[in-house]
Amino acid sequence: MSVSSSRITDALTDGRTALWALAGLFLLALEFGAAANFVVGLIIDGLLAVPGVDGVGFLAAVENAVQQIPTLLSRETIPNGGYYNGSGYEGTFLGLSPAMAWTLRATLVYAYAFAAFGWGVWGYRIYRREYRAADWTPRDDVFDRFRGHKWGIFGLVIVFMFVTMAVFAPALGPTTVDQNMRNSYGYETKYWDSDSGSVETVLVGDANLGSLSQGNDRNIGPWTYDDYGRFHPFGTMQDGSDLFTFLVVGSRISLVIGVLSVALSASIAATLALTSAYYKGRVDLSMVLISDAVMAMPQLLLLIMLTTVLRESWINEVYSGGFLLALIFAFTGWTYMWRSIRGPALQISEREWIDAARSFGQRPTTIMRKHMLPYVTGYLLIYGSMTLGGAIISIAGLSFLGLGVAPPTPEWGRAVNLGQNYVRTGSWHISLIPGILITLVVTGFNALGDGIRDAIDPQSDSAGGETAGAGGGA
Amino acid sequence: MSDALLEVENLRTVFHTEKETIRAVDGVSFDVQRGETVGLVGESGSGKSVTARSVLGLVEEPGVIEEGSIQFRGDELVGGNWEEHRGDIAIVFQDPMNSLNPVYTVGNQIKEALRIHQGLRGQEATDAAIELLEDVGIPDAARRVSEYPHQFSGGMRQRAVIAIALACDPDLLVCDEPTTALDVTIQAQILELLDELQREEDLGVLFITHDMGVIEETTDRVNVMYAGEFVESAPVDELFDAPKHPYTKGLLASIPGRTAGGDRLPTIEGEVPTSTSEPTECRFAPRCPHAFDACREVHPERIAVGDPDAAHEAACLLYDDEFEESPPEDGVVADGGETA
Repeated sequence: MSVSSSRITDALTDGRTALWALAGLFLLALEFGAAANFVVGLIIDGLLAVPGVDGVGFLAAVENAVQQIPTLLSRETIPNGGYYNGSGYEGTFLGLSPAMAWTLRATLVYAYAFAAFGWGVWGYRIYRREYRAADWTPRDDVFDRFRGHKWGIFGLVIVFMFVTMAVFAPALGPTTVDQNMRNSYGYETKYWDSDSGSVETVLVGDANLGSLSQGNDRNIGPWTYDDYGRFHPFGTMQDGSDLFTFLVVGSRISLVIGVLSVALSASIAATLALTSAYYKGRVDLSMVLISDAVMAMPQLLLLIMLTTVLRESWINEVYSGGFLLALIFAFTGWTYMWRSIRGPALQISEREWIDAARSFGQRPTTIMRKHMLPYVTGYLLIYGSMTLGGAIISIAGLSFLGLGVAPPTPEWGRAVNLGQNYVRTGSWHISLIPGILITLVVTGFNALGDGIRDAIDPQSDSAGGETAGAGGGA
Repeated sequence: MSDALLEVENLRTVFHTEKETIRAVDGVSFDVQRGETVGLVGESGSGKSVTARSVLGLVEEPGVIEEGSIQFRGDELVGGNWEEHRGDIAIVFQDPMNSLNPVYTVGNQIKEALRIHQGLRGQEATDAAIELLEDVGIPDAARRVSEYPHQFSGGMRQRAVIAIALACDPDLLVCDEPTTALDVTIQAQILELLDELQREEDLGVLFITHDMGVIEETTDRVNVMYAGEFVESAPVDELFDAPKHPYTKGLLASIPGRTAGGDRLPTIEGEVPTSTSEPTECRFAPRCPHAFDACREVHPERIAVGDPDAAHEAACLLYDDEFEESPPEDGVVADGGETA
């Protein structure tokens, strides 16, 4: 204890580290309210997901309290939902137009996110240079190679922007799901009626009905205002609600299901691969048989059947059915990852340090975790990243078919579905924009996976530049 | 010899492959006393390492110890009783590059063994690890303890591996070609270190190598292994002075500098066969310069040869009175002298 606290004191008296810590505090202070809100919200969601828990009175009070903490990047600090009063905008940030106010907020959100990322990298570099005992570890090379991998960096940027979108969803949308979709008749909005030359008040639900996107004659396209002075960065949906808000909130469910399912299947795959590599022989053979059996089940059919059968059960109510989807993805998807990492795991199990550890009596689980797992985590990252892209496509595909995530929870695939009747009309944006986003995000995850793979194992270079050169010489 | 540290009786370790059953170790018996170094010598593929792994219980599927007994201080190990004696038997592998995990510091790996066998944690364990590194002759151990294996030279890595083995406080040390991957000067240092440690800790050592020179330096008794069997066992001096088995003679003849004259170093033609069935003949017969008809029909038993006080045994029909052929005169180098 005394050792660690003295190290912390040393660190803080060092100029560069102190500066880094201050920058971190500053970044946290800007968003403390949102961070606290997120954590409390997560705890409440988690508790409510447990069957039999109805009330979270105390935590709800805490949630109310943290929602009062001002944060820089919130709808309240930089509002965009104002109205024109004949001479200027009222209610928007500094009297800017709603489009400008929203753009400013979105830009700040992304600037903040990238600053936080940079802060993390900066911290790692300080640690690497001044606090780590070893001058160099093999991992340093991995980072350096990744930094030079343009395709991988592209993937990282896309994935990072996607994650930022999911994390900051409430702050990014021009309006909220509750105001604009779920409960649109419970809120009012003011607008400038140019016919009467006065500011009128209308229910959001009625305003939505006046801003439908259903073809050439009724359309609110991307980057336009509707008749009620509301700005729509991606236009409106077929029911007049804001597409951008729908999509940013939808990114959350894709990310949560994707990460949950990949994390689950990666842990199943890693556990089984290490077990079969360590024990080999019959254990290995039985696992091959099990995975073959699971692989033989048609995944899509199983998904459709299970989501239908379990529609009424409590498990389907957790996170609008997203939790169930994640479970099904995990239990059907682990086999591919298991196949991919079994080889590397077997290779590692032949190393003599495994035998050395066995010879001095280390427990098998510890050997697997300490001496084998580090060598397959790289592969887990690669395949995890790629499977995540696949999971996002599958979720979108199921929603498109009307299965999976239950309406009205926003989901990208459903946006594509809702817009499919208008693809050939002026309201093409309803399907096209989420479609492009899905493609981009999945490409991003795959690119990230490629980048990680090339960084971890330079000999597997898929881009082919150097390998091709070497191959030509051989 | 009931007080033997390690007593191996008729050990047979086989590998069940899809095509056939390979008898890697086929009925070997030996023992190791406290403070004694027993050598195991033979060509690549003769079953030395499998013997070592059998003793440590490290044989993996599809390999299995099919028969025989391995007793450590009188406790039977075959049948999965290794766990009780984990740490009492330590092993030093051939390639120090491979026997240290590159993602952890050397200290971390020594501490892993210390935690299991001496229950040491934290600063205590670090201090003990530094002490062990000093014991095995690593300079500046306090700094080295937090370095990674790639920062160590080959010789230092092997010293670190030995330190890990010592961290278990073993009674028996199995050295599986510990110096093969090292260059000659480092080899001498490591052998010296092992010798020193053995005397200090009164260790029993099972020393495996294919290098007759190293055997002569380090061991007290030698077992010569061929195709899974011991063809000759003798105290080291006796073996070098009066080798009996033609294979031993061939091995000795192929040490550079041992045979005077001659332009070329004598070799033993051919290579070690893979044994897949119960022997009905002498497995060395196809390569043996003195083989006669009976050698291809009768499997030789181990019989006492040479000096009656020396516990010298060989498995060769040349020394069996039932057969007429007599051994070649001592001192005559086995007729493996022709090379390709």
